[in-house]
Amino acid sequence: MAGYILKRLFSAIPVLLGISIIVFLIMAMIPGDPATAILGSYATPENVEKLNRDLGLDKPLVQRYFIWLGNMLQGDFGRSFSLNRAVLDEVMERFNATLILAGTSFVICSVLGVAAGVVSAARQYGLADKAITFAVLLGISIPSFFLGMMMILIFAVNLRWFPVSGMWPIYGARDLSALLSHLTLPASALAVVATGVIARLSRSAMLEVMRQDFIRTARAKGVHERSVIWRHALRAAMVSIIPVLGIQAGFVLSGAVYIEMVFQWPGVGRMLVDAILKRDILLVQGGVVFVAACYVMFNIAVDVAQGLLDPRIKT
Amino acid sequence: MSFLRLLSRNRLALAGLVVMALVVVLALITPLLPLADPDVTNTADRFKRPLGDAGLLGTDHLGRDLLSRLLWGTRLSLAVGVAAALIAATIGAAIGIVAGFYGGRTDNIIMRGVDMLMAFPYILLALAIVAALGPGLLNALIAVAAVNIPFFARNIRGVTVSIAHKEFVDAARLSGMGDVRIIVTEVLPNVIPVIVIAMSTTIGWMILETAGLSFLGLGSQPPQADLGSMLGEARSALITNPHTSVVPGAMILVIVMAINLLGDGVRDALDPRLKSGALSRPMPATLVRRDSVPPQPRTEDEAILALRDLKTEFHVKNRVYKAVGGVDLHVRPGECLGIIGESGSGKSVTALSVMGLVASPPGVITGGAVYFEGQDLIGAPYETLRRLRGNRVAYIFQDPLATLHPLYTVGEQLIEAVRAHHPTSRDEARTHAIDLLKSVRIPNAETRIDSYPHELSGGMRQRVGIAMALANDPEVIIADEPTTALDVTVQAQILSLLDDLRRERGLAIVFITHDFGVVAQLCDRVAVMYAGRIVEEGPTAAILGAPAHPYTARLMACVPELGGGRRELAAIPGLPPVVDNLPQGCAFADRCHKATDACREGEVTLVPKGPDRAVRCIDPEIATEAAQ
Repeated sequence: MAGYILKRLFSAIPVLLGISIIVFLIMAMIPGDPATAILGSYATPENVEKLNRDLGLDKPLVQRYFIWLGNMLQGDFGRSFSLNRAVLDEVMERFNATLILAGTSFVICSVLGVAAGVVSAARQYGLADKAITFAVLLGISIPSFFLGMMMILIFAVNLRWFPVSGMWPIYGARDLSALLSHLTLPASALAVVATGVIARLSRSAMLEVMRQDFIRTARAKGVHERSVIWRHALRAAMVSIIPVLGIQAGFVLSGAVYIEMVFQWPGVGRMLVDAILKRDILLVQGGVVFVAACYVMFNIAVDVAQGLLDPRIKT
Repeated sequence: MSFLRLLSRNRLALAGLVVMALVVVLALITPLLPLADPDVTNTADRFKRPLGDAGLLGTDHLGRDLLSRLLWGTRLSLAVGVAAALIAATIGAAIGIVAGFYGGRTDNIIMRGVDMLMAFPYILLALAIVAALGPGLLNALIAVAAVNIPFFARNIRGVTVSIAHKEFVDAARLSGMGDVRIIVTEVLPNVIPVIVIAMSTTIGWMILETAGLSFLGLGSQPPQADLGSMLGEARSALITNPHTSVVPGAMILVIVMAINLLGDGVRDALDPRLKSGALSRPMPATLVRRDSVPPQPRTEDEAILALRDLKTEFHVKNRVYKAVGGVDLHVRPGECLGIIGESGSGKSVTALSVMGLVASPPGVITGGAVYFEGQDLIGAPYETLRRLRGNRVAYIFQDPLATLHPLYTVGEQLIEAVRAHHPTSRDEARTHAIDLLKSVRIPNAETRIDSYPHELSGGMRQRVGIAMALANDPEVIIADEPTTALDVTVQAQILSLLDDLRRERGLAIVFITHDFGVVAQLCDRVAVMYAGRIVEEGPTAAILGAPAHPYTARLMACVPELGGGRRELAAIPGLPPVVDNLPQGCAFADRCHKATDACREGEVTLVPKGPDRAVRCIDPEIATEAAQ
């Protein structure tokens, strides 16, 4: 197993390099002069030239890439001009908040989605199946940012069950219960779409598995139908559900950008949008590379989980 | 045409189509409608409620007419979404076709690049592109299209690879066509349906995504507004004037939902697997729909398990396949009954009907009874069946690789079998499981118990299958072609194992096979099945010595004789009848060399012939002829 994990980690290196190249190339496409963008159009030519030299922008593209990459490997992602702060510090702090939001959402959508899919498949064409299918359709069609706004309106403004926005109360203790009450609405809003997608795929994966011979064997053994579904069928279906969970984690992370805007959540998504509007390129660049790298690592974890779950995969 | 018909049969998809058509028409005729200018501000009339004096939907925070803005915004959102989908589909398909068609290194390099792009959470890539190009609707469109290109490229590549190696492409190549022409005339037409499916499933998504970027303020810039930026602008007034948020938000929901419904319909219509309704899961027990009073058991048989006039059908759409058409069978304790017949003769369905294990849908038991120790199991409550399954009546199935759960160890599956009926501790059950493995002569049972099925040989797996059947000391074992998938030496071992177990434990065995050699070795009595009915029944020695039914005789003639060559190997001409349309009279008549008109008239019944024998034939073979 350790060898397998190591192998997967090594295979991530070209992907990570590829990601850094793609991000670098996209940023190099920027029309106009970044120094002018930073200093504004009233900057003197001398100042622009000096800043260009300071940023290393007078060197050729390939050299610039390797300097950038080398700096990143040493933990230097550059400095955000709009925040006047090291990019990595800002990104890490913001990513922490995003991780709390997206991680909670991911747990919600995985558990609820798989459970809904299993129930739906087990009661195929029944009332529960129809209800779930309809809910799923609604869930995957509603824009998460609209859903988030409606949730604020209903549960925060009208019912006053949860705070309207933010991660922490402005006054008062920053404890777990405060965090949970702030987290509930955004995490639920973020989970809805992914829950729908996971439920849908779990349902079809379950239907596929339930027609297999080993399900008939389990029934022939006299195993209770509950165990047939939750132990035998679900275990086998998980083999095809787990990769979907990995993909959906990416969608949850993506959707977090909208939810962070709606709920004023101090996460990396809101930071990126602000940085784009302020043309703070280094911050965007660093944030994108950092989050993408984390996502690659997460997918390796998913692969390893898959290896643990399916003994037929040679590890 | 059939595609459109399928689509129209799907009511939800049709609803989606109608709604979508309505929205598209509205968007198209927006410039012709007598609407207020969507961009004219009138701050005196801001935040007017819907259905008031300021238009149908009221006004927004700058006093602009919401209805007008909604329609113009819808128009813009649709246009941007469709454009993004078209761009992504065109470029993605082109990349996919090139990669799939040329293969090799081209394919490798392109797909590596695609994989890298897919390694991003999609929105990060879109944000990076917008960051580089600057906020704006066109740039948002480019970003959304770019992010979706890898999805199309990967899908289309897969299809192209399978097409690029088809005969008609080779033929085109041999006829001297250039690559471009082959791609355009041979590959593209086959790929287009896939592109259409991929687009129908992603277009709603792309509308949502561009709306999302606009919502973030990175898409359309004021005063121009698509649905996303309308929602984004309304956000600050969400609490005081929610209607300005609800209007554009609900519109996005309606559009995306309609497209999703339509997309599902298109996918279902184009996916042949779903068309046949194959994706339905079997219920815990076979459906029972008996419309006649079940016959009583015959006590004189002294049977532990007796089937009386059992009828099992498969209902597929409008067709009814009578897989089992009235079967009477019984087996006594310690006896081995063989059921023999060609594939499709209904022998497996008969066996599975006993414990309600026929997959349903489409299986339905429509008549007869199955008596186990005098209790009728057909229509018995699920819990009654479950308590008997594996406990009193156990099954051994054909292919142990498919019938054992691939992700649990042999031990876990055995322990589960024990504990399903006997609440013992895990340790006790494990000891029992090891004993079971030993009893079926698995060497090193203590270590093998922790193996997964794929780590064992075929013969070992089938021994595990037998051990599982023995787990609760059942009275009856139903073995459904347990040796068919094994090679001959292993087959012999398994048969002698079963024979020993039967003698040691006094088991009743129902043994299903198509192999007369197996019957001769193991069975006391044999029943021959054809087209869902028993055509001959009797003691094994008597039937093997002198078959009475022409079908039995012909079936035996199919078996090669070892070291013989004294008689000719004879295949039976023709095929068994399809059981949804059985002929009048004898079902075998069309393949029988001595069939007369009388055979095709009226019901041929199973009549007793000598002690313990019966045959369903009006002109049975005479003993001397069959013995040869």
